[in-house]
Amino acid sequence: MNNMNVPLITLRSISKEFPGVCALSDVSLDLYSGEIHCIVGENGAGKSTLMKILSGAYSPTSGQIVLNNEIYDELDPETAQNLGIQIVYQENDLVHSMNAVENIFIGREKTKKLGFVDKKSMYSEAKKIMQEFDIEIDLSVKIENMSVSDQQFVKILKALVNNSRLLILDEPTSMFNIEDSTKVLELVKKIANQGISVVYISHFLQEVLDIADRITVLRDGVVVKTYEEVKNITMGDLTLHMVGRPIDKFYQRDKIKISEEKRLEVCDLKLNKNSPEVNFFVKKGEIVGIYGLVGSGRTEIVRTISGADRFYSGTIKVDGVSVNINSPKDGIAVGIAHITEDRQQLGLNLCHSVLENLLIVKLQQMRKSLLYDYKKQGSRVQSIIDKLKIRTPNLLQKVIYLSGGNQQKVVLGKWLITDAQIYIFDEPTRGIDINAKYEFYEYMTELVKQGKSVIMISSDMPEIISMSDRVLVVRDGSIKDEFTQDEINEQNIVCSALGVAI
Amino acid sequence: MRKAKAILNDQRILLAIVILLMVIIVGTISPKFVQLSNIMAIFQQVSVLGVLTMCMSLLIISGGIDLSLGNMMALSAVVVASLLMQGKSLLLAVTAGVLTSTVCGLFNGLIITTFQTIPLIITLGTGQIFNGISLLIAGGSFLQFENKLNFLREIKLFNYIPLMVAIMLLCVGFMGVLVNKTKFGRRVVAIGGNEKNAYLSGINVKLYKIIAYTLSGAMVSIAGLILASRLNSITANAGSGYELDAMVACVMGGVTLDGGRGTIIGAFLGCLLTGVISNALDILGVHAYVKIIITGAIIVTAVVLSNISSLKRE
Ligand SMILES: Nc1ncnc2c1ncn2[C@@H]1O[C@H](COP(=O)(O)OP(=O)(O)OP(=O)(O)O)[C@@H](O)[C@H]1O
Ligand SMILES: [Mg+2]
Repeated sequence: MNNMNVPLITLRSISKEFPGVCALSDVSLDLYSGEIHCIVGENGAGKSTLMKILSGAYSPTSGQIVLNNEIYDELDPETAQNLGIQIVYQENDLVHSMNAVENIFIGREKTKKLGFVDKKSMYSEAKKIMQEFDIEIDLSVKIENMSVSDQQFVKILKALVNNSRLLILDEPTSMFNIEDSTKVLELVKKIANQGISVVYISHFLQEVLDIADRITVLRDGVVVKTYEEVKNITMGDLTLHMVGRPIDKFYQRDKIKISEEKRLEVCDLKLNKNSPEVNFFVKKGEIVGIYGLVGSGRTEIVRTISGADRFYSGTIKVDGVSVNINSPKDGIAVGIAHITEDRQQLGLNLCHSVLENLLIVKLQQMRKSLLYDYKKQGSRVQSIIDKLKIRTPNLLQKVIYLSGGNQQKVVLGKWLITDAQIYIFDEPTRGIDINAKYEFYEYMTELVKQGKSVIMISSDMPEIISMSDRVLVVRDGSIKDEFTQDEINEQNIVCSALGVAI
Repeated sequence: MRKAKAILNDQRILLAIVILLMVIIVGTISPKFVQLSNIMAIFQQVSVLGVLTMCMSLLIISGGIDLSLGNMMALSAVVVASLLMQGKSLLLAVTAGVLTSTVCGLFNGLIITTFQTIPLIITLGTGQIFNGISLLIAGGSFLQFENKLNFLREIKLFNYIPLMVAIMLLCVGFMGVLVNKTKFGRRVVAIGGNEKNAYLSGINVKLYKIIAYTLSGAMVSIAGLILASRLNSITANAGSGYELDAMVACVMGGVTLDGGRGTIIGAFLGCLLTGVISNALDILGVHAYVKIIITGAIIVTAVVLSNISSLKRE
């Protein structure tokens, strides 16, 4: 770290108020060149808002930004970029109808004479950076045809191609598996070594402890503490400051007795003509964890069960009766709730209220008369909001105005409110803070206590290990191994997922 | 197999196939249809719409729309015609016409961006304003300008291509290059595809939108000149309905109304298809009323087809 004495950028008592919400109050922060500064805090603590003020997306209600001895009352995106502030936003914000390379250079197009774009040099520059940071994506593919994690890499590349003095990454790894996350962490270290200041936001506290030079904890829009040294901090310390009370590091779940009755049976399921057959079952009151690397086919398998995708052949039985599931509606009808992985795009009506979003599935089920009675559901909705700690000023707030993590909780909530028998969670706790995560585990335990069944896909190893009664490992589209009780440990699972001998 | 699917998903190729099929079928029934002179006639018939479709596609791709295009075109042509009738020089008249529609476009752009209003409704209103001004200038009468614009029809490049057709093709080429190859064009596509993202990427979204509307306005005057030349006269209401035809051509060509998608060539082929249909039905001697029904049916089919590829995308 150099220039430790003069900060590159200083935020001076920044406050930001939205109608009905005070997102930040009197936040001050120094950022130095070459440091990795991590910001942690619960969902809705104000992390993204603070970063958006730095990148010029929002203007602060009060406070100043000092850079190069110049004082700015607010920035706009163009100015911020010209000053060398680059950001990877938490939300997915790409132009879906354009390809990767074009997205990377939007607003910074390379041109030849007369304003003609210079595709060649854009490709070569993007390739150069991809090589430098060991990123592999196909630049000519349209965003809409890309996987979520590739899209995330496009966002990161977009921030990297421009000369930056400050790089902000807002939960860059929440869409990634371990391998890709490691890449991003390496990349962050490399960048910081080049003397660029990095602000890194994440709910993966281990990640944070691994890479941070300094850590700032935000709670309710206020800086609770800035750690100048990371050496002796534990995750416990961090969560204590984030939440304001100590919480356990490892979640201990109440085990309950599982009934012998099979709730869901999947027999000889083939996704398409040449894919392997998949067989598994879930009992009443059981939590089945599904683990597999990204691309192993785990998501595809559960998508067919809930009716989100069609399958080629096979039967699905619910309570011993074989059922026909051709669409999500059919899935809901037989009591399957499916919480998808890609929540921003598939799970929410961003421009509708929290209340409407929470009730959208429920309403389908209780449609008896023409008119819906929203008010009757009020208490039920409120209890979900309390349970998941969804931070919203009121029930009628539009979802788009919630923080990223709180949006995810709304998706979870809307399925929890329905009376399903089988819950399928695909990466349920991505982007959710540690406190809310444990609340969600409680809730899940509650569900199985009522005799319901849960299938949970997760890449979060502690989550899989502490929550599952049984773990299925998927590789190359089929279920390779099954672990129960004592066999459920990290080594077994990882070896099986990678396909190496134990 | 995958490639075949990709090709069928490409609106341009789909349309080209449809047009080709029509040409072959109708050509076999009535050979007159495929004569070079008739083909030129088709191009001449779509030359006004062709230019307007270019304006419309730029705006739709940018995430906007302009329903005042028809009336804007008429206003511009009325200005030209009345100046010509007063004996003013062609150069002066044309300059005034271009300026008129450019200002109209700028006006639309300014209102839409300053007040962040829905272009659909705003331009419906401004279209009325333009129409009113045309009526004030022209009254209810036909403005005739002593064949002073005949040169657009009569001059033929290589002895075959009427000047107006060449101009239209030039407009298509210009717009195609603008949208696909230039920084301006790519930024317009980005704005239409995701306005928030474009803004956060440091693009001056308002400015680009204003430029797009203004540019489209400037181009509308070309359509106005061609229209006046073809009719050899002009009335205040001569342009009404054209904006909807242009919109249909765009959508048939795969330019979707939510912006950021579609190609200029596609839009042009959409426009050409309407011309081919109408000409073919005439040549086949289809009754005028039946012709309307068939035209409508083909439009519906084409739009449904264009939507199928986007349904798959979901
Ligand atoms: N545009 C907006 N309008 C109204 N309220 C907003 C807006 N953006 C954010 N908020 C509110 O401000 C608060 C802080 O949100 P912010 O997105 O900064 O949280 P965060 O710390 O990034 O959380 P997460 O970890 O969930 O991403 C939240 O209560 C949120 O609801
Ligand atoms: Mg956030």
